[in-house]
Amino acid sequence: MSGRVIVITSGKGGVGKTTASANIGTALAKAGNKVVMIDTDLGLRNLDLLLGLENRIVYTIVDVVEERCKLKQALVKDKKNPNLCLLAAAQTRDKSAVTEEQLKDICEKLKKDYDFILVDCPAGIEQGFQNAVAGATEAIVVTTPEMSAVRDADRIIGLLEAKEEIESYRLLLNRVRPNLIKSKDMMSVEDVVEILSADLIGIIPEDTGIITSTNKGEPIVNDEKSLAGRAYMNVARRIMGEDVDFMNFEEETSVVAKVKKFFKGLMGKEK
Amino acid sequence: MKDNIFAELYNKLLGFFRQAEQEESAKDVACNRLRVVLMQDRTNLTPQLLERMRGELVELLSKYLEMDKEALELNLDQEGEQMALMLSIPVIRAKDEEEIEKALAEAEKAKEESETEDEEDAPDDETPEDETSEDETEEADKDEASQESTSEPVADSQPAKAAAMKFPNKEICGDCRECELSDDIECEKKQQAASKKTTK
Repeated sequence: MSGRVIVITSGKGGVGKTTASANIGTALAKAGNKVVMIDTDLGLRNLDLLLGLENRIVYTIVDVVEERCKLKQALVKDKKNPNLCLLAAAQTRDKSAVTEEQLKDICEKLKKDYDFILVDCPAGIEQGFQNAVAGATEAIVVTTPEMSAVRDADRIIGLLEAKEEIESYRLLLNRVRPNLIKSKDMMSVEDVVEILSADLIGIIPEDTGIITSTNKGEPIVNDEKSLAGRAYMNVARRIMGEDVDFMNFEEETSVVAKVKKFFKGLMGKEK
Repeated sequence: MKDNIFAELYNKLLGFFRQAEQEESAKDVACNRLRVVLMQDRTNLTPQLLERMRGELVELLSKYLEMDKEALELNLDQEGEQMALMLSIPVIRAKDEEEIEKALAEAEKAKEESETEDEEDAPDDETPEDETSEDETEEADKDEASQESTSEPVADSQPAKAAAMKFPNKEICGDCRECELSDDIECEKKQQAASKKTTK
């Protein structure tokens, strides 16, 4: 088996990299893939929290690198899905504890046993970013329809393009608010795509459910009723090569009856 | 009386719609600001340099074409590996041969004058010899613009000089008068592609 290594990055912090990683990873695992997630945000790890695995971590990526344990020992299995596991970041060390070569090496080893290796990248464009990108051949650039996030995404795209190993990158537009787009107070999906001239892998609507799901330590894809959850499921399907239409959120802001009708239509399609 | 009411109503309505049109939405502001800032990020061109580049392009192109100078748009787009400078200029009218000759002669004259007057204090739109801040080559045209300017039979040394004045550090191709000789893309090809030219 030779898995795909996908780095999830954004440049700007707080746009939802870790949330996206947790949800895409869970969604891919739910679809039957063997998935491992690597948190490379050394010193500021959070992926364990979003997955609700914070109490199960014994070894971290630094322990693996410094040979205090075997790679397999450091992989924490998910509570619900045995196909999913996490290689946590060390909380007490900084970005220099792991090098690009070491991360590459870990990715190569994991490729043999897993379908997908998702690398959660730290914010910024410094060494942490360079490390995270080192082992990857694909990238997902997370951004929101805000100026600062789009600008940083553009910077990241520039850096990704300069990397020979990265064969493709796609854009994940997070925290989209259809109401604001409709009133022309927020940049639309089309605007962002045009400005960055990048392919889209998904559109995730702003969803308060994300907050509760984070609090519970359970990715929102597990909630099949939630809009964001379904959007993440679609992202996973697109990663797997399926051709899935992008959701149209605008209709849902209109009359209640229409909303219901739309939901029904969507549910029907997905089943 | 009745007419007046209708006229008033009409004007009010018109005014209402105009107002709605004029007010730029927050997202448009965001898009425009982003485009500008990304262009700077991608090229290291400051707003001052961009404005200067714009000014020089307007000056250069208006020798050959009558155009809407205010509506000139500069954009940088990423096309795969290469960055493309997109220049859009609404052409009002093509100048005829005489006018072009005249404009070129004037430019030449102005250049000579400025050289003789004072060599130290060069005007803004003339690039002094020691200018090295612009390492980008600017070449851009709109379809019509390039066709017009290349179909004009004024292929003397004059235009080449006029263009050379703009890019004193670069050799200028004699065929199209706008590209560099060192550029590995051939001139004709460039003119066919016309709408886009690359900066590196």
